[in-house]
Amino acid sequence: MIWLVIPVIVLVMMTIGAAIYAVVSKNLLYAVVSTGVVSLGLSLMFFILQAPDVALTEAAIGVALTTIIFIITIRNTTIKECCDEKKSKIESKKGELK
Amino acid sequence: METIFTYLGYFFVALGAIFLFLGALGIYRMPDLYTRVQAGTKASTLGAMSLILGVAFLEPDWWIKLLIMILFIAFSNPLSSHAIARGSYKHNLKPFSKEQVDAYEEVEESKEEQK
Amino acid sequence: MIKQFFVILILSIVGYFLVDAFFKVPFGEKRDNVGNYYIEKSPVDLKVSNSVTAIVVNYRGFDTLGEVTVLFLAATGLGSIMYRRKQKGEKEVRAKNPSSRIIQIGSQILFPMIILLGGYVFIHGHLSPGGGFQGGAIIATASLLMLISYRKFKVSHNAITWIESIAGVVFASLGFIGLVLGRTFLENFLPTGELNDLLSGGIIGIIYIAVGFKVASELTGVIDTVLLNNRPEAQKEN
Repeated sequence: MIWLVIPVIVLVMMTIGAAIYAVVSKNLLYAVVSTGVVSLGLSLMFFILQAPDVALTEAAIGVALTTIIFIITIRNTTIKECCDEKKSKIESKKGELK
Repeated sequence: METIFTYLGYFFVALGAIFLFLGALGIYRMPDLYTRVQAGTKASTLGAMSLILGVAFLEPDWWIKLLIMILFIAFSNPLSSHAIARGSYKHNLKPFSKEQVDAYEEVEESKEEQK
Repeated sequence: MIKQFFVILILSIVGYFLVDAFFKVPFGEKRDNVGNYYIEKSPVDLKVSNSVTAIVVNYRGFDTLGEVTVLFLAATGLGSIMYRRKQKGEKEVRAKNPSSRIIQIGSQILFPMIILLGGYVFIHGHLSPGGGFQGGAIIATASLLMLISYRKFKVSHNAITWIESIAGVVFASLGFIGLVLGRTFLENFLPTGELNDLLSGGIIGIIYIAVGFKVASELTGVIDTVLLNNRPEAQKEN
């Protein structure tokens, strides 16, 4: 029975690591993909904790739909999270001109 | 109650596990994206299919659902890897090999010439 | 300086109470009287084997109606924000590059299979894990697959609106019929049938099918709106 804990621990570490990476990463595409990984880990955890209904929802919405909608949005805007304020202002002006 | 089907089921499950392990090893060891996609897809498709086949031998009542699952994996897994490989080709990702043989480009060019 | 001091003070007070409350939560104790009631009663009263569905649709059916309304409002709000009038001669472009032939044919094969899975999930919502929300999301991913692999695949917004409206009307009118025939809103007035039977649970199956259609059409509309309003030329300059 103790062996069942080990995959759960690995799963939790993976989820937390992906969440931290999603916050830290400067490239928004990587951040979105790692939020997808967070959703995948959550869905597996829900399944292990005997909530298959929630796991199905999380798998369909969190992994597929949200990730795809974010990726489409990134494709329409910028891929880099801009840390320089001046640069971001210039870029937003460029966006307005279009 | 151990019949021949039980042993066949265990055999296929073990085979699937071995193939999945080889696929993971391939993803870890291969040098660039194309070979990784190839290793991951081929090995994991075969592994998952034989694993489900083993489950179908172990639980004969579920065989029709498991057959649909095998079909789904057989369709979806190569498709997604094809999409990944094609997308990275379109983004000019160079392969690891120094001998630059680009068969896909030749095919595309011949298509355009035909048009 | 004083401001920072107050911030630290308030944070430490809030943190103290949070930690205090956290350690007062009993772990590993059995406090599931309501849960036990639902688990024991749902197979007997409603003849529903998936007690989660019994809670979501029957015991807490009104909350589900509110949830569906929230989803509808979200989809409507997104549509009104993303609405852009088409300029003259502008083509409706959803995907920038056309997909290869392999992906198109493969997604043609996969599309009915995913639809089948979604329909199975919400039709069997009272027997197996799953339900209207899950099945609807799965169907929406199927239409997403077709939308991003085919450039010419179009979703009829008229049909989406009609399906969504009819599904919402079915849900609400079932509630009012329950109010008329029984005592409360969304009371189960249909015969409940046998346990583990497809035609069991009374109105639960019908409501979940309606919710499935509603969620599927809403999410498909959301995806189509987001995909339709993309501007591939914006990416080139970045």
